[in-house]
Amino acid sequence: MKFLLMISFRNLSRQKRRNLFLGSAMAFGVMIMVLANSFSHGISDILFNKIVVYVAGHVSVIPGEGRGRHLAIFRDKERLEKIVKKNAGDSVIDMDEGVGIFLRAIGNGRTENMVLVGINTGRTYDEKLLKEFDESFHLIEGDYRQLRSRAIENPVILSKEKAELLNVKRNDIIRIRFRNIFGQTQSGRLTVTGIMSNDNTFMQGVMFVELENLKGMMGYRPWECGSIQLTLRDPQRDAVAVADRIHAALVPGPAFIRATVTRGASRAGATVLPFMGNDEKKKKLMADSFRLVKGSMSDALSKDGVLMSATLARALGVRPGSTVEFRFRPKYEKEEASFSAEVSGIFAPDKWTGSETVYMHEALFYPRFYESLPDLAADARRAFIPAAGAPFKGALGTEWELVARARTTDDAKKNMRDITRRRVKAATIQVGSMYETASDVLKLEGVLNLITLTAVLVLFFIILIGVINTLRMTIRERTREIGTIRAIGMQRRDVRRIFILETAFLTLFASIAGVILAFIAMGVLSLIPFNVGDNPMGILLVRQHLHFLPTVGGILGNIALIMVIAVVTAFFPARRAANLSSAEALRHFE
Amino acid sequence: MMRDTIVGRIPNMTSGRGARSRRKGDAKNIIEIRNLVKDYPLGSTTVHALRRMDLDIQEGDFLSIVGPSGSGKTTLLNVIGCIDHATDGSVKVGGTEITTLDDRQITDMRLHRIGFIFQTFNLIPVLDVRENVEFPLLLMKTMSKTEVRTRAEKLIDEVGLTEFVDHRPAELSGGQRQRVAIARALVTNPDIVLADEPTANLDSVTGAQILDLMRTMNKIEKTTFIFSTHDANVLKYARDIIKIKDGQIVKG
Repeated sequence: MKFLLMISFRNLSRQKRRNLFLGSAMAFGVMIMVLANSFSHGISDILFNKIVVYVAGHVSVIPGEGRGRHLAIFRDKERLEKIVKKNAGDSVIDMDEGVGIFLRAIGNGRTENMVLVGINTGRTYDEKLLKEFDESFHLIEGDYRQLRSRAIENPVILSKEKAELLNVKRNDIIRIRFRNIFGQTQSGRLTVTGIMSNDNTFMQGVMFVELENLKGMMGYRPWECGSIQLTLRDPQRDAVAVADRIHAALVPGPAFIRATVTRGASRAGATVLPFMGNDEKKKKLMADSFRLVKGSMSDALSKDGVLMSATLARALGVRPGSTVEFRFRPKYEKEEASFSAEVSGIFAPDKWTGSETVYMHEALFYPRFYESLPDLAADARRAFIPAAGAPFKGALGTEWELVARARTTDDAKKNMRDITRRRVKAATIQVGSMYETASDVLKLEGVLNLITLTAVLVLFFIILIGVINTLRMTIRERTREIGTIRAIGMQRRDVRRIFILETAFLTLFASIAGVILAFIAMGVLSLIPFNVGDNPMGILLVRQHLHFLPTVGGILGNIALIMVIAVVTAFFPARRAANLSSAEALRHFE
Repeated sequence: MMRDTIVGRIPNMTSGRGARSRRKGDAKNIIEIRNLVKDYPLGSTTVHALRRMDLDIQEGDFLSIVGPSGSGKTTLLNVIGCIDHATDGSVKVGGTEITTLDDRQITDMRLHRIGFIFQTFNLIPVLDVRENVEFPLLLMKTMSKTEVRTRAEKLIDEVGLTEFVDHRPAELSGGQRQRVAIARALVTNPDIVLADEPTANLDSVTGAQILDLMRTMNKIEKTTFIFSTHDANVLKYARDIIKIKDGQIVKG
C-alpha cells in the first residue's frame, strides 16, 4: 500500500498544468464552501447568541393573562422559577426574567420609538458576565453598576446611535410613555447613565434598565414575574429538549379557593371551584352532571353563574339571588382577600360534587383567584377536589392553561388563536424554544444553509466533471503504462487504487489550499465595513462587519464530503483503467 | 545444462497438427503450445493472427522469433506471456495450462513466472532505476524491504547501471533504459523472459550490447529468453530461431 501511495503521489507531478487547473477549481469550490459555512455559522451565532437570546431566550416560558394574553404576568414567580430550574437540566447557563416594553422616548427635542428591556445586573456582578455584557454591548461611556444606583432616577443605557438621535448625553433625562401590564398609559423618566456601541443594528433600538426598576414601572408586584428566559450552552442541540422537559413539568393542578363563605352572621368553610362556562361542550357537561334543586341551570352556567351545594345553602340560609361573601388568605399578601358573588343555583350534592362546594363560572373566578393568589399547597388538605372519575371533571378549570408545544411560530400562533377562540379565562403558560419563538428569524439561517447547499452542488459538479475528464485524459495518456504494470503483475485492484489515491491526494491538497484561501478571504472580507443604515439586513453584521465563524468540525466535514465525492467520482474511470486488457493497452499509441 | 542439449539452431516445430517437439536429450519443456489459434476482430472482419500453431520451448533456451511485420510474433509472445488470451488451443507455461486461468491467477502467473522486456522500454517514469527494478518484487510482497533492495541492486549491478541507480528513466539513454527493463524482467527470477523487439528502438551498437547482455543474463540467471525480431542482424545472437509467417511457423 505504501508503494501505491508513493506512485499515486508522484503521479500528481506528471500533468502539472492539468492537475493545477483541477486542483485550483477544487480549491476555489472548497473556499466558497468554507466561506458559506463559516458565514452561515456566523449568522447562526448572531441569531442564537446575540439576537434570539435577548429577544426570547433560547428557551422561554411565557405567561399570559387577559384578552389576547397581553398581560405577560405570572402570579407566583417563586413557584414558576422553582419548576423551571428543577427541570431545565445542566445545559442551562443562565436563567432570568424577560421583561420588555415598547415605548415612546422623548429626548432633547427629539422622539423615537424604542424598546426598554430589563436586565438583572444585581445578581450577576461576576467578571465573566460583565465581560459577556461588555462583548455584547461595548459600553463606551458609563458603568453597568450604575444601573442599580438608588441615587439616580431609573438609570438607563442606550446605544450611541439612539443617544445621538434623541440628542441626549450622559446624565440627561429621557421621558417615556408606555403602557403598563394592565394596559394603562404611563409616563416615566429615565436617566442616561451609559452609552454603548452595539454589535448589530438590531440591538441599537434597545435601551437597558435594571429589571426591578422596569417591573416597578410596569406594575408587577414583587412575587410576580414576566416571562422566564433560559440561555443554553448549546442551544441548537438542547433547546427543544429543555423546552419539552419544562413543558411536561408545568402541567397545572386544579384551581380552587379554600374560603370562608359568609352571609350575615352565618359562615361555613367551602371550596370554590371554577367551571369553564365559556366552552359550550363543558357547559353541557356541567348541566348534565348537576341536579339543581333551586334556580335555573341557564343562570347558573352564565358568566355570573355561581352554583352552591344545598348543604352549604342550608347552613348559610342562601337562596338563588342571595349574595354571599368569600374570604380567604392569599399566599403572598398579609391581608385577607374577599369578594362577593350572587348565588345563581343550588344543587343537590353527591359524592362527585361534594357537599361544601361552590362552582363558579371561570369569568367570575379567575380575576379573584389571580389578584390574590391563594396558597394552594397549604389549602389542599382542607379543600374538596372532585375525584378523577367525576363526570364533570373535564369542565373544571385548572391553575393555568398549558398551551400545547409548537414546533414553529405558525403553530404557536395557531395554538394561541385556539385559546382565544375558546375564550379561556385562566392564565396561559406557553413554553417555547427559539425555534418557535423566533422561527421567522431563524428562517434566515435556513436560507444561508440553502446557499451552502448550492455551493456544495456547484462544487460537486466541478469535481464530477473535472475528475472524470482529468482521469479520462490521464488514463488515455497512460494506457501503455497501465498495460505495462498489468503485464508486470499488478492486480486490477491495485491499478484502481492508484487512480483513486491520486484523485484523493489531489483533492486533499486542493481542500487544504481551499481552506487556507477561505481563511484569507474571511480575513479580508471581515476588514471591509458595510454601512447599511437602517436596512434590516444590518442585523447580520457585527459592528458593521461581516461575521464569520469557522468551526473545526464544519471544515473537516467539508473536506470529508469533498473527498468522498471525488473518490466516488474517480472510482468509475479508475475501474475502467483497471479493466483494460493488458495486450490492448500495450498496443495503444497516442 | 539443459540448453547444451539443444542441437541445431532451428527447433523442431510446425504449424498445424502433428507438431514435433524440438526437445533433445532430457531437456524439459517450459512452454507447450498445441493447436493455438488467435483471432482478432477488426471491424466487420476477423484477423487470424495465429493459425493452429504447435510449439515446444525448452527451459533455459535463448530463442528468437522472427518474421515480417504482422506475421504474429507479438501475438505469440503475448499469448505465451499471459497478457492475451488464446482463441482456441492449449498453452502450458511451466506445466500450467494458462488458457483456463482467471484474471487474478493469470496476473499472478505473469508476476511470478514471466518477465517482460518491451520495444519501448515501458519503464514507470515517476520511479527511479532502483524503484523500477524493485517494482515487481514489491508487488510480490514476499520479501523484506532489505531483501528487495539487495536483489534489485544485484540486478542493476549485473546490467551495469549501479551509478545510475537514483536516476529517473527520462535521465537515461535508450540503451540504459532497456538495461533497466532487463533488470526489472529478471528481478523476480522468472521462468521465462519475453522480449518483444528489444532492439527495435536502439541503434545497432546499443542493440548488440543489449543482446549481449540478454545472452549473459541467460547464462547467469539460467532463464529462458524468447525474443521477437524482424531484424536479420540480431539472429546471430539466438541459440534457436522460429520463423513465423501469416500466423504459422515456417522452417527457417
